[in-house]
Amino acid sequence: MTVELERPLEALGAAPELPLTWLRRIVVHREEVLLENGAAPAVPAVQASVAAVVRNPWVGTPATRDLASEVEAVAPRLAVELTDRLLSALGGVDAVEAFGKAAVVGTRGEIEHGGALIHTPWFGNLVREFLDGQSIICFADTRADAGESLVVPMWHKNAAATRSHYQTVSARVPDGPRADEIVVVVAGSTGPRPHARIGDRSTDPTVTAATAATVRPVSTHREDPRP
Amino acid sequence: MNVRKIVTVVDEVLTEGGRPVEPAARVAVVAAVIENPWSGQGYVEDLGPGIDAHASDLGALLAPRVMEALGEAPEAFGKAAIVGLDGEIEHGSALIHTLKFGDHFRTAASATTLLPAVEKRGPAGVVFDIPLKHVTDATIRSHHQSFEVRLPDAPHPGEIVVALAAAAQGRPQQRLAALSTEQ
Repeated sequence: MTVELERPLEALGAAPELPLTWLRRIVVHREEVLLENGAAPAVPAVQASVAAVVRNPWVGTPATRDLASEVEAVAPRLAVELTDRLLSALGGVDAVEAFGKAAVVGTRGEIEHGGALIHTPWFGNLVREFLDGQSIICFADTRADAGESLVVPMWHKNAAATRSHYQTVSARVPDGPRADEIVVVVAGSTGPRPHARIGDRSTDPTVTAATAATVRPVSTHREDPRP
Repeated sequence: MNVRKIVTVVDEVLTEGGRPVEPAARVAVVAAVIENPWSGQGYVEDLGPGIDAHASDLGALLAPRVMEALGEAPEAFGKAAIVGLDGEIEHGSALIHTLKFGDHFRTAASATTLLPAVEKRGPAGVVFDIPLKHVTDATIRSHHQSFEVRLPDAPHPGEIVVALAAAAQGRPQQRLAALSTEQ
């Protein structure tokens, strides 16, 4: 999981300079499930989250403050640092099937500050491009003290309604975010849930309030793979 | 040995004390979530057969993974056994406090010292701190450090989390006088 940055920051254009200490810590969390409910996953998948702790550049500014210039400086750099590590953890861009993103804002910031870093094209479009996806990226955000564990939602990077790929992974930085910091997360998965078997839009019957009591779900029974 | 999940954490500290850390300080942890081999058996007097059956395999599973995750030679290392609520701490200690477990890591890391350890019992999601010390001289003060870990859904009551930790350096911005200066 050693990371060589694949995309030099200069390639992102004349992003404004940042202080050397803008980025404090990066934590990669990778999970590989070998057994779930006693059985190996039919389609093994690896999940990972990458969390970066950055200084909140807007602490102390009023609620009317325009956030654009710092977004332009910070968000593209974060997109590079986070996706390079995610790709290293998951085995490359072709291996990534699902993605998600998140922000944890320290207690002196606004949720809007986290949104500025993850919901604008200077981050979202670049993450989508670097992970070679088409979908909107689903997300979670919160404001919390250091050490908050955040559950990051993910869905399929090209077909968001693919039910087998609805899943989550945790992200946590033990000493972040401090009150004047923001933790920004990108998450990914190489496949579906371990035993995805709740059908899909293609197999669902039409269920309405009038028919729910009588329509039966399509059977998703699988043979038990255990010996 | 039933392994439910393998979790890898790689941590980089790029800033500490308001100053850049160059190169970034790196720590890696690899944890295996396993079924407690003595789960459901009541008080087992002789843990030897279970140790013989699992400890070496666990060391062989985790050591190459933590070396790969760190991506460079470890200068400090440590280990952990976190026992689910239905087990004894002794069960975790049994698996990690044997040369059969630690020698895999010591050999891979060209290490000569014993691995410092945390042993603890707790619910899934319990936070634990793995102590790390220098791989060839446990008195080297710059390398005394610990690393905080939390696995969201482990250990279950009948499980044990067994982990290895490796650091590529001492503490970021370490600047304490050596032990020898006080002797």
